This record gives sequence, structure tokens and C-alpha cells, in this order.
Amino acid sequence: MKFRSTLLASATLAGFLGAASVAAAETTLTFVWHAGTCADALVGIAKDYPDKSVKIVPALVPYGPEWHNKIASEFAIKGDAFDFAMWDSQSTAEFAGGGHVVKMNDIFAQSSYLKADLFPPASLSQYGEYPDGSGQFYGLPANQDAYGLMYRKDLFESAEEKAAFKAKYGRELRVPETYQEAKEVAEFFTRPDKGLYGWGQMGGRDYDFATTASNSFLWSFGGELYNPKTNEIAGYLNSPASIDGVQAYVDMFKFGPPGSGNWGFDEVNASFQQGQLAMAMQWFYFNGSNADPKVNKFAGVTGFGILPGAVGRDGKFRRQFSVGGQGMGINKYSKKLPELVKFMEWYFQPEQQKRYAAVCQTGLRAVLESPDWQGLNSYNAQFANALQYLNDYWHLPEYPVLLDILQEEVSNAISGSKTVEEALGDAAKRQERTLERAGYTIEHKGDAPDVPDTVISPVGQDAIVPVNG
Amino acid sequence: MDTALKPRSTGRLMIVGFLSPTVLLLLFMVAYPIFSLVHYSFYNFSALNPDKGMDWAGLSNYEYLLSDSGIWKRFVFTGKFVFLCVTMQMILGIFVGYRLQKTFRGRDLLFTALMLPMMLSPVVAGFLWRYMLNSEWGVVNFLVSLFGFAKVDWLGQAGPALWAAAVVDTWMWTPFIILLATAAFRGIPETIYEAAEVDGASAAYVFFRITLPMSAPVLFIALILRLIDSFKQYDLFVALTGGGPGSSTETVSFAVAKTAFSYFYTGEASALAVILLCIIMGLAMILVRHLSNMGARH
Repeated sequence: MKFRSTLLASATLAGFLGAASVAAAETTLTFVWHAGTCADALVGIAKDYPDKSVKIVPALVPYGPEWHNKIASEFAIKGDAFDFAMWDSQSTAEFAGGGHVVKMNDIFAQSSYLKADLFPPASLSQYGEYPDGSGQFYGLPANQDAYGLMYRKDLFESAEEKAAFKAKYGRELRVPETYQEAKEVAEFFTRPDKGLYGWGQMGGRDYDFATTASNSFLWSFGGELYNPKTNEIAGYLNSPASIDGVQAYVDMFKFGPPGSGNWGFDEVNASFQQGQLAMAMQWFYFNGSNADPKVNKFAGVTGFGILPGAVGRDGKFRRQFSVGGQGMGINKYSKKLPELVKFMEWYFQPEQQKRYAAVCQTGLRAVLESPDWQGLNSYNAQFANALQYLNDYWHLPEYPVLLDILQEEVSNAISGSKTVEEALGDAAKRQERTLERAGYTIEHKGDAPDVPDTVISPVGQDAIVPVNG
Repeated sequence: MDTALKPRSTGRLMIVGFLSPTVLLLLFMVAYPIFSLVHYSFYNFSALNPDKGMDWAGLSNYEYLLSDSGIWKRFVFTGKFVFLCVTMQMILGIFVGYRLQKTFRGRDLLFTALMLPMMLSPVVAGFLWRYMLNSEWGVVNFLVSLFGFAKVDWLGQAGPALWAAAVVDTWMWTPFIILLATAAFRGIPETIYEAAEVDGASAAYVFFRITLPMSAPVLFIALILRLIDSFKQYDLFVALTGGGPGSSTETVSFAVAKTAFSYFYTGEASALAVILLCIIMGLAMILVRHLSNMGARH
């Protein structure tokens, strides 16, 4: 009896020790991201990682400030609660500037597979470069995104609608190539008595909703957020061209459902999926769900395109819209860098990225340029084309403050508590004050042109370049 | 001599022994964070960039905040919000609590149902109401339009957004007042009501001259708790309005959280938190003193 008890105890102990050694052999790589389709895709793909001793664990938070704050708080305590994270391109400056992120150049130098040329140079720069133009990268374009346009093909292709539009506006009805055209088309389809509105867009105060949307107008009309050489904001953010752009954005709410001025992406999707909108400005990220008949009852008649551009006051055509998506960065305080690099070498192989790109937008050049991927659905080719029109805002460590100020003031313009000119003027003053407090020198030259794009990386073209035809 | 001292010193030791764990815990959990907060408020630094060090700022964080019109707007908004929601909660809570103290069929079930909103997380309540208040497809505007009124952009305009937030907070926290008011009302001896009835007192007289005065200390505690809680309201606004439109629904606590964890201006956030702490402590002290006087009278 005593022998049996001893044997049983030994076996139990051996079992525990065995389990403990298996547990010890397992490495968990934790990542922070906002919850959603793309995070689920990463987790799904990671399950097939050949090294079964490595487990990828998601730590997901809702999209918005909590997501940024979760990453930032961990960096503040130099903690290793996560090993890698996806953050907005603009946050790279804040996190890398604080010295919390592993420099990708070191990984590129050591890895036999992970190299800068796996990714389009512009994408690598947008999602990982800090400071701009330095050639130092702190993130990989893991999940690219861009603003896009979705529209109701049944309305645009209806002979009756076409005839009515031509009778009213003297031109053919088509998916708009400029915001000037979009305004007319939106006005045409706005029929509140029938529950139909011409245009849906984000305008909410939360996180970056109003700013990403309004910037797309501002840049297309030739405006700029600031002059990166002199750090001047006044004169640029509130330049006549910037005001034109933001005014055009604010005016578009007239063609949206009442109250759409505080919408986020959920409301834009919900309204479009209920058939309330003829057109909507939305991230490509959501095209997968909006093309799914189980989610969108109008999926069969939903078309996907690229956002319009605008003919600015200088007569030039520009098409510029906000970059979305996130780069993948590595926590400097992670103690599992070798395992993580091995995982990334596997994850960024075309095989895995093709799976990812079936539901989200990869940053891997081999997949982006592949005809198979571009022909997979009605919008992938559009996305590949859209990349050239992306623009981004401040890559400065003060990004959260600058963003919040612009969010607040654009929101004031949307609600009508300030005119666009007042709102942008106030935003410029407050943002300059922020930069000055942070130690930046602002050279007040006061010679900002009416259309600042003409002096800061000009993109103006003489004629409209159609992309949605 | 020795025999007289021994019990006294043993008693002191016992007192010290019993008190010290609590005192140490309080020092660690309350005093240390407050001292740190005050200390940080005199520096310019970011917790996100600790390697950059802390620059002595003196009173400049306070000067900056107190000269910023944006912060004053947030104080004004917080004051309006606190006044609106606490007033509504007290009136409704006392009224419903008064009705619920009487026995009727289904009272317990109704009482339990009324408590449900209080059990929700403010963030969940915020998101829930955000959809209910959606101007186009929200149930609130559906009901409004049933009565022939025009739909209201509840969360897109500053005025309606304040009212919407106050109503949501009232929906959540009136049950708390009901709970305390009912308990207070039930604690009043029945004989007093019987005597009033014999004397021919009207229902209004009984309510204002007997029920309310006799339950005043408990109601006053409820008022203090709701005032303090409403003053530091943050999570409801994050979910319901995001602080917008503009910054029209940003409370002071919202600004503290944003400055601390979004901007990572740790020194400035600490200074704002100290200002908020002083206001709440001042308010609480006035009310607690009033409560003590009330207790002495009773």
C-alpha cells in the first residue's frame, strides 16, 4: 500500500514536472491591436505557424484612443506585456521618438529574409519611417489601408436616373472624379422623403474620424496642414485652399442623413447597408464586409471605387486622401526578439500574406503586384491603384495633441459653432502653441501661398485623371 | 508605579498594532499618490519619455491651465452637467422611493427592475444610448416622431448633447437614490405617521414636514456621493459623445485623462488633477460639515 502510494505520488509529480517543462518550452508572443477582421486574420494565420512551441496571443482593444493609450502606457513603464503591436502610422514618431521601438534596419541587416525591398518604398516610409526621409524604419506595413468610395451601382446604372440627372445637370451621371461632381451627384440622390441620401462620411469627434475625412478634402483642394521646413501652421492649415477643402467636406453633410455629423465608420457602414446612401466615403478595410451579402443586403449592387479629387482654386487637379491601416512595430522591452523575428520571417512570406490579403490589405509588394490578388474581388485592383494617392499627417511625436486639436476644431465647424475659417484659424494658433511648448522653432515667414501644395511636395495636375470610369 | 504603567503601555501598543496596518495601507494607497501628484504638477515631463528627465516648472503648469479658456469651458460644462443630473436624480429618486416604500403587489419585482441600469458599466450604457439617440434610426427619435415632433440631432449639437448626457446619467443613477431614499423612508417609525394622521395632517404636510426632514441625513449622503461621482464623470462621455461636438461635452475628468494618457503631458495632467482634487475636496468638506451639523440637530 505504501509502495503504491509512493508510486502514485511519484507519477503525479512526474506528470506535473512534465507539464511544467512543456509549458516552459512554449513561447507566447503577445500583440496589441484593435479588434476586427484583420486582427482575427492574423490570429488565424498564426495558428499554422510551424513552430508549435510559439503561440501568438492577441491583446485586442476597441478602435480609438484606448488602443493608442494601451500601447503608450506599456511603453511608459518600459513593460513587456506585449511583444509587438500594430499602431497608426502617425504614432511611430511618438513611440520611436521615445526610444521604445526596435529599429527595423537592424532586423533587415540580420535577417536573411526580412528586407526593406519586400515592401513598396512609399508604404514602408508611411508606416515605419522616423524622422521623415531619414531611412530609419520602426515599423513594417502590415495592414495598409486607404480611404475609398462605395456606391450603389443600381442607382448609377439606372436609365431613369441617368436621364433625370442629365436633364438637371446637363452632363452624364457617373461615379464622381472630383468633389465638385460628387456634390452634384450627392444633391441629386438626396431624397429624404424616400429615405435616400446622396453621401455618407465620418464626422465624429472620436479619435481621428473627422480629421482623416476632412484632410482628404483639404489636400485635394491644395491645402496643407503645415510647412514641415519652417514648422509654420498658421497660413497653411487656414490657407484659402485648406478652407476650400474643409468647407467642401462640411457642405457634404447636407447630403447625408440628419445627425451624420457625428458618425464614425460603424454608422457609415450601417447606413449604407440599410440602403440609405447612394455613395459613402469609407476605408477599404470595410470593403470585405460591405461586399458580403450576409452583412450588406445591397452587396450585389455595391460598387467600390477610389475617392474623388478636386479642382483647386489654382485650376489644378489633385487627388489625395488619408492613409489608413497600421504598421507592425516591435516593443524594445520584449525579451523574445529572436522568436519574434523568426515568426515575422514566416508571417511576411507571400503564402501567409496571400491569406491575409484575402480579407485585409497587405503591405507585401509580391502580393500587391500579383494579378491573382488584384483579380480576387472588385476592389483589390482599386486599392493597389489608390496607394499612389495616399497622404499622411504629422509624423511628429506631438501627433496626439495636434490630432486632438484638429478633431475638436473640425467638429466645431461641422456642428456650426464656428465657421470653417474660424475653426482652422483657431486650430492653427493652438497647434503652433503646442509645437512651441514642445521646443520647436517656428519660422514665421508669413509668405504661405493661397494654395500651399504648390510649395510643399506639389501634386497638382493640369487635367482630371479619371480612375473610376 | 510599574504596575500602573504596564497596562497603559500595553494598551498603547495594542492601539498602534491595530492601527498601523491600516495607516500604512492608507499612506501607501492614498497619501503617496497624492504627494506624487502634487510633486509631478510642478514639473514638465512626459511619462512616455522618462529618459528626457523632468524639468522644474514651478507654477507654470497651473498658470497655463488657469489661463486656458478651454479648461474654464470644461469646468463650466462639468458644473452644468452636475447640476442638471444631480437635480433630476434627487427629485426622481425621492419621488419614486416615496412611492416604493408603500406595499403593493409586484413592488419587489419593480424595485429590482429599477435597479438594473445601475448595474451596467457606464461605457456600455454610453454605447447603448449612443445608438438609441442616433438621429436617423435611434429609438428615441422614433418615439419623438410618433408624437409629431421633428427629429433632434441629440449628439451632434452642444445643447442637446448636454441634455442627452444628463438624461443617460439620470437613467443610470436615479436607482441609487431610489435605493437609499426607500431605505431612509422605511426607517421612519410608523407611529409618527399614525400620530400625524390622527392630527389630520395632509399628505403634502406629512411628506415635507415629517418624511423629508427625518430622512434628510441619508438623502444628504446620497447627494454628496452623487455630486462627487458626477463631478468626475468620464467613461460615459467617452462612449456617448467622445467629448464632442467640438469639446462641448468634455468634462474636467475627461480633460485630465486625455492630457495624461493620450497627450502624455504628465506634469500638466497632474496639475489639472490637483485642481480637480481641491475642488472636489472643498465641496465634500462643505457638505460633510453640513451633514455633521444636521446630525447634531437630530
